[in-house]
Amino acid sequence: MASVELKNLSKSFGEVEVLHQLNLTVEEGEFVALVGPSGCGKSTLLRIIAGLEEATSGEVLMDDKWVNDLTPRERNIAVVFQSYALYPHMTVEENMGFNLRISGLSKPDIKQRVSEAADILDLGDLMKRKPSQLSGGQRQRVAMGRALVRNPDTFLFDEPLSNLDAKLRVQMREEIKRLHQRVRTTSIYVTHDQIEAMTLADRVVIMKDGRIQQIGTPTELYKNPANVFVAAFIGSPSMNLLDGRLESKGKNKTLVLADGSNLSVNTKPDLPADGDVVVGLRPEHLKLVQGKGTKNVLSGSVDLIEPTGAQNHLKISLAGQSLAVVDSSLAPLALDDTIKVTIAPEQIHVFAK
Amino acid sequence: MKRLLPKISLHTVMIIGVLVTIFPFVWVALMGTHSRSDIFSSPPPFYVGDNLLVNYEKLLEVMPFWTVLFNSLYVSVLGTAGAVLFCSMCAYGFFAYDFKGKNIVFGVMIASMMVPPILTIIPSFLTIKFLGILDTHFALWFPGVANAFGIFLIRQYMVNSITRDLLDAAKVDGASDFRIYWSVVLPLIKPALATLAIVMFIGLWNNFLSPLILISSPEKYVLTLALRSVQSVANSPWGAIMLGTFLSMVPLLLAFMFFSKQMMAGLTAGAVKG
Repeated sequence: MASVELKNLSKSFGEVEVLHQLNLTVEEGEFVALVGPSGCGKSTLLRIIAGLEEATSGEVLMDDKWVNDLTPRERNIAVVFQSYALYPHMTVEENMGFNLRISGLSKPDIKQRVSEAADILDLGDLMKRKPSQLSGGQRQRVAMGRALVRNPDTFLFDEPLSNLDAKLRVQMREEIKRLHQRVRTTSIYVTHDQIEAMTLADRVVIMKDGRIQQIGTPTELYKNPANVFVAAFIGSPSMNLLDGRLESKGKNKTLVLADGSNLSVNTKPDLPADGDVVVGLRPEHLKLVQGKGTKNVLSGSVDLIEPTGAQNHLKISLAGQSLAVVDSSLAPLALDDTIKVTIAPEQIHVFAK
Repeated sequence: MKRLLPKISLHTVMIIGVLVTIFPFVWVALMGTHSRSDIFSSPPPFYVGDNLLVNYEKLLEVMPFWTVLFNSLYVSVLGTAGAVLFCSMCAYGFFAYDFKGKNIVFGVMIASMMVPPILTIIPSFLTIKFLGILDTHFALWFPGVANAFGIFLIRQYMVNSITRDLLDAAKVDGASDFRIYWSVVLPLIKPALATLAIVMFIGLWNNFLSPLILISSPEKYVLTLALRSVQSVANSPWGAIMLGTFLSMVPLLLAFMFFSKQMMAGLTAGAVKG
């Protein structure tokens, strides 16, 4: 196992700078997910850590050793690729043993290590098959087996589940999590799927346009997003973002929305100065209310109802803007009904504009 | 009947095609069994004659047939093996590495395919003379081992059949550049290698022009040259020449019988993405 550290890492392809001065420390045994929209540089970053791509400037350290000039093999990393990248002409056994064969291990040793890894991933019956004779999930497991068999210091995953169907993805996600809990190898996992990142990782790194937006545990990112991008990216359905104005009346802080409704917020040290702001309201924090007497109430008309079984996803039109609400009470509503929703002051997010 | 008609007409066309194609081969084989006077009789004899042994003796008398056959085989096998090796290496270079001027070099290489080969006869003769390898078999097979057609063919096949991830995976597995080429890339481009091998072998086997220009010693003659050299205006031993011609086709026919499946697969490879 190894820690991984990036210091002022930048990468340009010709004129285009895809990574800007990144700093990141991944502790030994930690599972970190790099997440962001496509084109944000997360895969490039992973390739630099793997040694498949050279950084334009900055340092990559593993166990405090400078590894910029080392080959992937010398870094002792293993990569699970999105396309699995299994050798089509080799059997499962040969695929998993290829790197051990290159290392010059004896045949019985290779056989033993391969069968150990195969046992962990339940691949025993497939050893003589070629990749073309395997299903997507099985190929994925072989790709993981190939990474596991060499006992790497660091696992790197490059969107390993994005070629699988939804059900299999959930299943493989669990397997990856179990695998990490079992072997505790430092893992860096690239994905564009925030759910995957949140469920798997100890810490999540959110990237946009080659810059790190925020690093934190899944709960931290959900509760205290650093900016509008992180706020909108984390959570499903995503956070409602409305224009508003922050006003101070003595010690109290009030948000005035475009339709003139007021929301009181808790005073927090990171609250921006008075003036135009962006207000973030999570759909699941908005509760339907009836009657009067409640604070922080917004009212609007129902635009769309999407039943999902356990919850109804509502779209409410409010002062010319659309507001998503998750209604767990399954209230019987019809289109164009006027309803009221409330939110607790501590659950309101305010971002500088 | 209505359904049978298209089938019958299709088969008729195909059978006529087959007959037209194999007729020259059969005729050559048949003429190899006749004497010169029979061949020129009217109507020409279209049956197996009884002059085979005489023709064979005549053939060995006018040329060292088996030596010449061996020469042809030697040149074709070496040229084919060399082309498969060097073209695939070059193609791997163009496929797997990024270097300055790559597209220009590749473009110039493709453009060179548009130059009619006949135009290069004199320059290539002068080059070979300068290198001091005139009148050697080396001059016949070696200059063609890295040819634009082969490199292009194999590179295109690689682009379609090998992903970047696969090369990266091999790198992560610790394979050296040569190891990646040898253990990962080569096994995956077998159909393209087979195609190139067939095209090269047939080309070298049938090559007449370069041996004519480059080879002067009779003991170094290849089949095409030897068969042509015994033809003269008067009194050519046509029976023997036809027998020799037929025997020179036998290796290709044998190869086709054994490898026809791979040849078809190779020649249509890439036509449909699998």
